[in-house]
Amino acid sequence: MALIHTEDLSKHFKILNRRQGLAGSVRDLFSRDYRTVRAVDGVSFDIEPGEIVGYIGPNGAGKSTTIKMMTGILKPTSGTILVNGQVPYENRIRQARTMGVVFGQRSQLWWELPVIESFRILKEIYGVDQQSFDKQMAMFDSLVGIGELYSQQVRTLSLGQRMLCDITAAFLHNPSVVFLDEPTIGLDVSIKAKIRSLIEELNRAHNTTIILTTHDLGDVEALSRRLIIIDKGTILYDGSTEKVSDLVGSYRTLKVQLSQQDGGNLNDGVRDRFGEDDGVSVQPEEDGWTAITIDQGRVPLSDVLNHVMTTSQVADVRIEEISMESVVKRIYDGALR
Amino acid sequence: MRKYLAVLRGQMMRGLAYRSGFFISIVGNLVFIGVLYFLWRSVYSGRDQINGLTFDQTLLYVALGSTVFILLKTHVDWVMSFEIREGAVVIYLIKPVDYQMVMLTFSAGSSLLAAVIVTAPTIALLVWGLGIGWPIGVGTALAPLALILAFLISFCFDYSVGLSGFYTESMWGLGIVKDTLVVVLSGALIPLQFFPESLREILLWLPFQAVYHVPLMMITQPDRPLGVQLTALGVQVLWAVALFGLTRLFYSRAIRVLRIAGG
Repeated sequence: MALIHTEDLSKHFKILNRRQGLAGSVRDLFSRDYRTVRAVDGVSFDIEPGEIVGYIGPNGAGKSTTIKMMTGILKPTSGTILVNGQVPYENRIRQARTMGVVFGQRSQLWWELPVIESFRILKEIYGVDQQSFDKQMAMFDSLVGIGELYSQQVRTLSLGQRMLCDITAAFLHNPSVVFLDEPTIGLDVSIKAKIRSLIEELNRAHNTTIILTTHDLGDVEALSRRLIIIDKGTILYDGSTEKVSDLVGSYRTLKVQLSQQDGGNLNDGVRDRFGEDDGVSVQPEEDGWTAITIDQGRVPLSDVLNHVMTTSQVADVRIEEISMESVVKRIYDGALR
Repeated sequence: MRKYLAVLRGQMMRGLAYRSGFFISIVGNLVFIGVLYFLWRSVYSGRDQINGLTFDQTLLYVALGSTVFILLKTHVDWVMSFEIREGAVVIYLIKPVDYQMVMLTFSAGSSLLAAVIVTAPTIALLVWGLGIGWPIGVGTALAPLALILAFLISFCFDYSVGLSGFYTESMWGLGIVKDTLVVVLSGALIPLQFFPESLREILLWLPFQAVYHVPLMMITQPDRPLGVQLTALGVQVLWAVALFGLTRLFYSRAIRVLRIAGG
């Protein structure tokens, strides 16, 4: 049986249409002018025990709203949702025992206290017995060596250290499913890698199901075989991560800043040389930057860079992976069909 | 129950984590008691009794009033409104805990700490420093129970204001109104004996006096007839039960708003 089952799941919010200006704000006090926002709109999927599923999408796509429905914080407007065969919002306290949640931007640790105290409080809250507690703590320490952080106050931890503690804390009571909402947000590359391997190990240790929402495709590529992409409340893609990474992997964005304002010339120059047929598109950006998106399957990045360097006065160059927004756009355009 | 004990312990440790705040509270309170002493000394100059209270009784009442105020003021309204606005409230909603119990435990942790930091030094100062006679009687024995009931009632006031944060983003105005009502109508600022007779009769049946007036009277005038003291205690129990029921109901409505309208 599926661990998580959703069918035609929807969540609509009523939002007050705000007027502009002070006079508008005064009129808003008595306004009944609402509009409906379909944060999640007819989502269906099944997640099996032990899976790591990447749940991704651009800002405001409905990721967090879905997580909040799965954890029982929000009640769906319509549709079915079952976690462990139960409706999450109906029996919140019993359900909460079987779940772990990490909100990347919000710590569940006690800010003023040493790390170990938060773990002790969680031990009591979830009714974990001493033996299992010691076993879990020993495992966490062997995985990421957090033992040395135990006596530190949470507020003195770095963002990455705090995240390691927050993630292990979510696994302390050995839940059947853990929701990780943006666990790598704002972290540098080396700590990201550490967190990814920690998540992988924790998944393997007790076959824990993990739902991972993220902006960073790298997280998903490293961790999950299955990927669900959501945009504007509906599922855009539900399938293997590989297919998406093939699509994304071949694209790079080359960002160029020119020393003088000749963005227009660069634009035309690149177009003349490569053209849309080669999968190269040019987009002028703010502060003299120009973004050139390249499909490496068709034109090597080095060719484009070479061309730009020889024809223009370049002050700065950056190479970036393709953004979430462009991935979504490409899927809309039929890239996976 | 064990989980709330762990939260209680954590909350007390949290209070102790700010060491300078800890010591400033102790000194600040003692200075305030000194100010009260000189204020009422001048009010009583040349008089033995005002409204049937001696200087010792009045000073004991107002001085304990201020420390009991610190003991019973839970601040849970401000904590909740902040957490609701910031969305931090979800941290409790994903845990197998009862939200009201966690808030009550937080408050109890802070109050226990305040008992050590503020109440104990105040009593020491009053008895040994200022030589105020401490009356002993039946009420002295009943006072701890009255204080616990008063704490529960005070918590319900603060908690309901906090819950209103689910409906409105700003509970500042409501918080001020509640604080003023409680301080004035409970006899925390001015003993209820100083109120007009007719008003006092009404106030004695309201929940506000159950917070400060009842326990303070038991401490300062422990020799009143047993029947009067037990009636006061009974009124407290009734209000505590009623307000707890009401806040439960309020919570189940407020949480529905969150569930449906989102955080």
